[in-house]
Amino acid sequence: MNRRTDPQTTATAAKTVPFRKVLIANRGEIACRVIRTLRAMGIASVAIHHRVEANARHVRMADEAVEITGDTPVAAHLDAAQIIAAAKQTGADAIHPGYGFLSENAKFAKAVADAGIVFIGPDAATIELMGDKISARNFAEKHGVPVAPSVMPTGDLKAFAAAAEKIGFPMLIKAAAGGGGKGMSIVRSAKDMAEAARIASSEAMRYFGDGRVYAEVYVEKPRHIEVQVLGDGKGGAIHLYERECSVQRRFQKIIEEAPAANLPAKLRDAICRSAVDLAKASNYKNAGTVEFILGADGRYFFLEMNTRLQVEHPVTEMITGLDLVKAQIEIAAEQGLPLAQKDVGIDGHAIECRICAEDPARDFMPETGQLRYLGVPEAPWLRFENALDSGQKITADFDPMLAKLVVHGETRDEAASRSVEALHELALLGVKTNTDYLARVLDHDAFRAGELHTGFVPQHAGELAAGEPDAQTLDTVLIAAALGFREFHDLAFDVPEPHASIGGWRN
Amino acid sequence: MSFKLTVDGVTHTIDIVRRRPHLVVRIDGREHEISATGSFDEGRQTIEIAGAPVHFTRAHSGDQLLVRLGGRTFETAIVDPRAEAAGAGGGLDVFKAPMPGAVVSLHKQPGDEVQRGETVVTIESMKLQTALAAPRDGRIAELLRQEGQTFEKDDVLVRLEPAADGA
Repeated sequence: MNRRTDPQTTATAAKTVPFRKVLIANRGEIACRVIRTLRAMGIASVAIHHRVEANARHVRMADEAVEITGDTPVAAHLDAAQIIAAAKQTGADAIHPGYGFLSENAKFAKAVADAGIVFIGPDAATIELMGDKISARNFAEKHGVPVAPSVMPTGDLKAFAAAAEKIGFPMLIKAAAGGGGKGMSIVRSAKDMAEAARIASSEAMRYFGDGRVYAEVYVEKPRHIEVQVLGDGKGGAIHLYERECSVQRRFQKIIEEAPAANLPAKLRDAICRSAVDLAKASNYKNAGTVEFILGADGRYFFLEMNTRLQVEHPVTEMITGLDLVKAQIEIAAEQGLPLAQKDVGIDGHAIECRICAEDPARDFMPETGQLRYLGVPEAPWLRFENALDSGQKITADFDPMLAKLVVHGETRDEAASRSVEALHELALLGVKTNTDYLARVLDHDAFRAGELHTGFVPQHAGELAAGEPDAQTLDTVLIAAALGFREFHDLAFDVPEPHASIGGWRN
Repeated sequence: MSFKLTVDGVTHTIDIVRRRPHLVVRIDGREHEISATGSFDEGRQTIEIAGAPVHFTRAHSGDQLLVRLGGRTFETAIVDPRAEAAGAGGGLDVFKAPMPGAVVSLHKQPGDEVQRGETVVTIESMKLQTALAAPRDGRIAELLRQEGQTFEKDDVLVRLEPAADGA
């Protein structure tokens, strides 16, 4: 069965078109992804772009485009006033924020609403509640969602360390306003606590302008399990099952899948129910993701809630057959949820690989370059989400994620094998990427066995490194390369035969 | 008649053994008959070695020719005989930026002695901080970027005084 390759957009065709025109306050693959659904729904699209990306794919794909200015391209994409002005100027009746940039910015959501434009997401108060890790945690705890025993921030680092000691080590220190691993550290003994808290606080101050840190029980070998929810804003909420995103490097996900591997049904039900409880309690309105950490002992704790579309949403689309962008748009237009909980099923297994411009051999450091050749795998069971163009410069202007490969299979093993095959076929030449590294992860016995935890990458670092090619491969590469150099061609084919045996190659 | 190529930085020699009726090359003592040599173009290619088809993708990038084969990308380049002769000992007098970014802090001043492995500059690229260490013992000749200044990949950030003879 391969029909889940693209989300279905016809299931609720009876509903009226919710908006005439939507501005996408984003760029790259996610802007292209949103435009695709808008087009399928008969809604006009407006792209925004900085001048460095004036000819980018999302700009070409959209019905209209507006240039935004800023000292850096990222600064332009964070300029709420300009973006709202662009929406007004083009007559857009709603703004889809994508992920990243302004997608979880409460002030932006409020300013959009104040301008009489629909923000495709929750209201500012919900974003604020969930955006602060401490208020989100307290809210979750109050509504019966399991949270990790923790120490709340205090100006007194000594008292903080003393309270942490009572709970026991190891503990994880986090920034209250944090994300992406910034301001996080693991503390294994009481004597390291005060210093670790001080460093985390200064890092949090530098990155988020907010030095508050808290500490919670650190779960050894934790799995990252998250639940996709949809809420209608009136207390109605459903879940679309879980995703597992345990394979991470630098605290960021690189492989995500749905459903989770080897998750007992009872535990899955409990986790999904907790996520729905949270969505209902907050009158959540939008697609959202409730993240949990799951310990080897089956205990699970609320981590945070992301109040936006997630990078890895396509794996959920593939197993449920739902279009999450369409669901977001309908919810924003007060048209309710697409399905009742009992009608949400799981069909097969889906895996997403994030293709990033980075060098796995150098601790996944970002790489830049120019895309010299792009060869994309094609099959009915895969989506290659990207906004790449051959010849495109890969710069440090934006995030190093270049594309997402999303693959469906009847079983987890089939999805993994198909992913490996597609990664092999993918040719993205001109910038170093993690493509081959991802294939090695998917082929690793521990991955196939579902033995996942967030330390998977460091644990298997040795086996996941690129080995030396065998002699046969190396010879083939040398022949393939030589035949591509004019100098070799001249030597092998053009020199008259009598001379071929004398002069060697000269520059 | 031989032709030198590097693959991921390691030099290999390809000897042309015969050109007719098919091209035959020898690499590290192993002979291969290339029964179909394919086109000279970039992109997806098929050649035949000993009658068996080999599929790969190829693209030039600067001086390099990138070859993707068997689910792996290799960086290849022609060895320039002149550079090979001049190569020994060079290249350690400067440190280059491994990626674009900005200087966070300078830990040394011109004239300071440094030891190999000692941090000279901390840079930030794509929100990640990295310490750049001296490639050898020596003395700082020049710091080409100040704190807060930005740079592109491969820009020279620090220059060391040339190593003294016999040091």
